[in-house]
Amino acid sequence: MPADDLSLRSAVNTLYSEHQSWLHGWLRQRLGNACDAADLVQDTFVRVITARNAMEIREPRPYLSRVAKGLLIDLFRRRSLEQSYLEALANVPEAEYPSPEEQAILLQALLDIDRMLEGLGSKVRQAFILSQFDGLTYPQIAERLGISERSVNNYMAKAMEHCCLMQIRMQCS
Amino acid sequence: MSLCSPPLSAAERQAISAAARWYARFRSGSQTEQEQQAWLQWLADDQLHREAWTRMQQVDEQMAAVPGRLAAPTLRGASHSRREVLRGMVLVAAAGSLGALGWRSETAQNLLADYRTQVGERREVRLADGSSLLLNTDTSVNVRFDGQQRVLELLWGEILVNSVVDPLQRPFRVDTRYGQVLASGARFLVRSSAEGDQVAAVDQALQVSPSARGAAQRLDAGRHLQLNALGLGPVALNDVTLGAWRQGSIIAINRPLGELLADLSRYRRGVVRCDPRIAELKISGAFPIDNTDLALAALHSGFALTIKRYTPYWVTVSAA
Repeated sequence: MPADDLSLRSAVNTLYSEHQSWLHGWLRQRLGNACDAADLVQDTFVRVITARNAMEIREPRPYLSRVAKGLLIDLFRRRSLEQSYLEALANVPEAEYPSPEEQAILLQALLDIDRMLEGLGSKVRQAFILSQFDGLTYPQIAERLGISERSVNNYMAKAMEHCCLMQIRMQCS
Repeated sequence: MSLCSPPLSAAERQAISAAARWYARFRSGSQTEQEQQAWLQWLADDQLHREAWTRMQQVDEQMAAVPGRLAAPTLRGASHSRREVLRGMVLVAAAGSLGALGWRSETAQNLLADYRTQVGERREVRLADGSSLLLNTDTSVNVRFDGQQRVLELLWGEILVNSVVDPLQRPFRVDTRYGQVLASGARFLVRSSAEGDQVAAVDQALQVSPSARGAAQRLDAGRHLQLNALGLGPVALNDVTLGAWRQGSIIAINRPLGELLADLSRYRRGVVRCDPRIAELKISGAFPIDNTDLALAALHSGFALTIKRYTPYWVTVSAA
């Protein structure tokens, strides 16, 4: 093991032993639930380890809470997506109801797509969803959103470029 | 090539951008023969173009793998982008204002509150001044105590407050979306939901002031009132149904089934749906909130209602 790795490892260990119970308390207060909090503590330190910058952290608690806050927001988005998924599911006829396994896969796929769409402007996002998932034509989308067909075309290109770049980023993280 | 290569080169980015423009043309369904030829030429020109196009196809396949009728409403419903969420949090922090994110239990500000209970959880919290708080299900509260004041901010949910008189004589206040409750040494209930707020005085009078127009009003012990964007509602007498959650139940006296189920679903993850044809059916009884399956079973056996479960998260109540 290179010397760098050794000192990184000891920096992470110190960080963990000195701050993990504080972080757990911080998260539990916000989540109201010790299990979720323990999961997020774990995830936070995984982030710290993979970032490989434990040695440069000057103010551990603000740093850890910043990372944890990002994870809380992810959790929040996940729950928000699950909620709207359940609402969407309510309108599916019983006969076409996906099995629990299918649902788990579907939900994960939707989470990935939701992440890929993250950061798109609202009109671009709307146009993209109308085309990809509602199956509307460009003229129909143009009418629905009150924009020109040319704009729909540009929005679609923009959205696809964005999704593609996000997909590359997601494969990296 | 590793999956995670170094940042894209300018040429790679350009290729992706061009591929996306081609994709958009194809998707319009109105591309011309000429464009088709130009696209083939573009593909033939450069290995980077072909790689970029392959990526486009991968993204397209990923989108096509989910059924549109589920994906479209789901993605539209969950349009809180990370940026929106963060911006909301910044706004809240800057203005100290509520409602910047809309009014739902799972907005980021609620999730990041000082104290929070999960759906189905109740929790008692002791505050620095000796006052205590009982948080009902799915509740978020911020606590701001300083040298001058004691303020609780009820973001969502329901609390029972046991406030103590302060040796420092700092006032004790609860801020809700639609108003403020002033109390000291009083025991009282506050609830904040999508429909508005409710304040109930238990053992002493409170002072309630609306955020909307209108003067503050004294609320005597044993009485409650609603407040919303329009101001304060009429005062009514408390009855046994109020605050029964402290003992772990919902007490219903001639309550419309639709309302009762809406109340029950506060304590249960997922959706409880009431067949609209029986929503007005009057129900009386006590229903446990710590085990909502039992409550549903009681509706089935006591009122001959059909409880249909599509998934544990989706329950429909209808006539037998």
